[in-house]
Amino acid sequence: MATPTVTAALNGSVFAPGQQMLLTVTYADADTQVLTLTLVITDARGNKSAPVEAIAVIDPLTLTVTDDSGRVWARVSDNGAVAVYRSVA
Amino acid sequence: MSRVTVQVRDAGGHVATASADYVVGLQPVLGGYYLSGGADPTADMAGGNFRSLTQYRSFADGYIFPGYNRPWLITLGQSGIQMNMVLELKHYGAPNDGPQSFTVDGTSYTVPGPTMTIQQRPGTTWPKAYGYGQVLAHQCDGLFARALAQYRTLGFGVNIQIASEFDTDHEFGTTEAGVAYTWAQSDARAVQAVNYILSWFKARTLPAATTFSVGIAGFNRECFQRIHPEPLMARLDFLQWNAYATNANHTALSQFRRAKDWTVADLGPIARSRPVIIAEWGVRAAEIPNQAAWIATVPSAIGRLNAEGGPLIARTNYFNSGWGTLTPKATGLAALRAAYATPPYV
Repeated sequence: MATPTVTAALNGSVFAPGQQMLLTVTYADADTQVLTLTLVITDARGNKSAPVEAIAVIDPLTLTVTDDSGRVWARVSDNGAVAVYRSVA
Repeated sequence: MSRVTVQVRDAGGHVATASADYVVGLQPVLGGYYLSGGADPTADMAGGNFRSLTQYRSFADGYIFPGYNRPWLITLGQSGIQMNMVLELKHYGAPNDGPQSFTVDGTSYTVPGPTMTIQQRPGTTWPKAYGYGQVLAHQCDGLFARALAQYRTLGFGVNIQIASEFDTDHEFGTTEAGVAYTWAQSDARAVQAVNYILSWFKARTLPAATTFSVGIAGFNRECFQRIHPEPLMARLDFLQWNAYATNANHTALSQFRRAKDWTVADLGPIARSRPVIIAEWGVRAAEIPNQAAWIATVPSAIGRLNAEGGPLIARTNYFNSGWGTLTPKATGLAALRAAYATPPYV
């Protein structure tokens, strides 16, 4: 199984107290696969149900953000490859 | 300094981490000044948020600290004005540029006259300076001893900026004892001499809060890189460059950021970690008649640069002389006062 990759970038390195800080996290893992399962039920007479889709993620990634100053970082967005977090200086 | 750390973990327990550092609660930038001729700036600074001052002295001068007839420098320093003392190997052209003999703390020194020429612009008279070879040959130790003895009587620590602008000094090469050196060779020799001077001072007891930097105008990228090698930067406390607007399209942001961009792109992590003293900044009235309007844009430019990361600009000293001469003075001073009353100066 592959080791994931991650990078972290702030929108600055010096902030005034109270200023918004944005953290952009870019992450990936070669093993991570998103599968779409489509289920159709067929009875003995050949009647078919409407298809139902389900999403399954193989080797999902868990992202955690910690801050040694105790600031809380709130998730603004996450599309599975890039996540943006926000905190206040 | 705070650090935010991101960790990604997959289903098998494989982990990757990354982190980013940041600083909150930046100190205000110190607004500063210089008045033409090294004259007493007390009246100009009174009542304004002026907290920093640049001064120039030649090692050839027998009166470096506080300077000849400059008791006001002690008064200002004791009141908390941060002094950037530019000490130059350049000889200021007093009639006597021959050898000097003097006694410092009971030790007699004889220092030969300066044997180098700098600022060799064609068609001009080339100033003399104590040569980098003279420094390395211990010939200038008496000058350093004299300066240190006077410095110890001041009662406060200063930043010692060695040379005013090495790029200006070396732009057209130098000549020492009849040997010509190119710009690049002069830079390399200067770095050796600066290291010698730093070793000389750091081996002795210095007033508390003494700091060091080297002087450069910051108009040539290659020279800027040559003057700031990492082993030298490890011994220096500040970066330094000057910022002038001499063209109508020069903005505060463009003029203050040029050398900063070179620092980030070309210099090592030690250099990049050092705060910056802008020993001189100014607006030339010939091209930018409305100096006050340009000065008013400086606080936001400095604030933006400091928010970007990279070396922090810590002090900016307006050069009310030469290119920066405030015309009319009262209008320019009012603009400076207003600027220094604005974040990031407060």
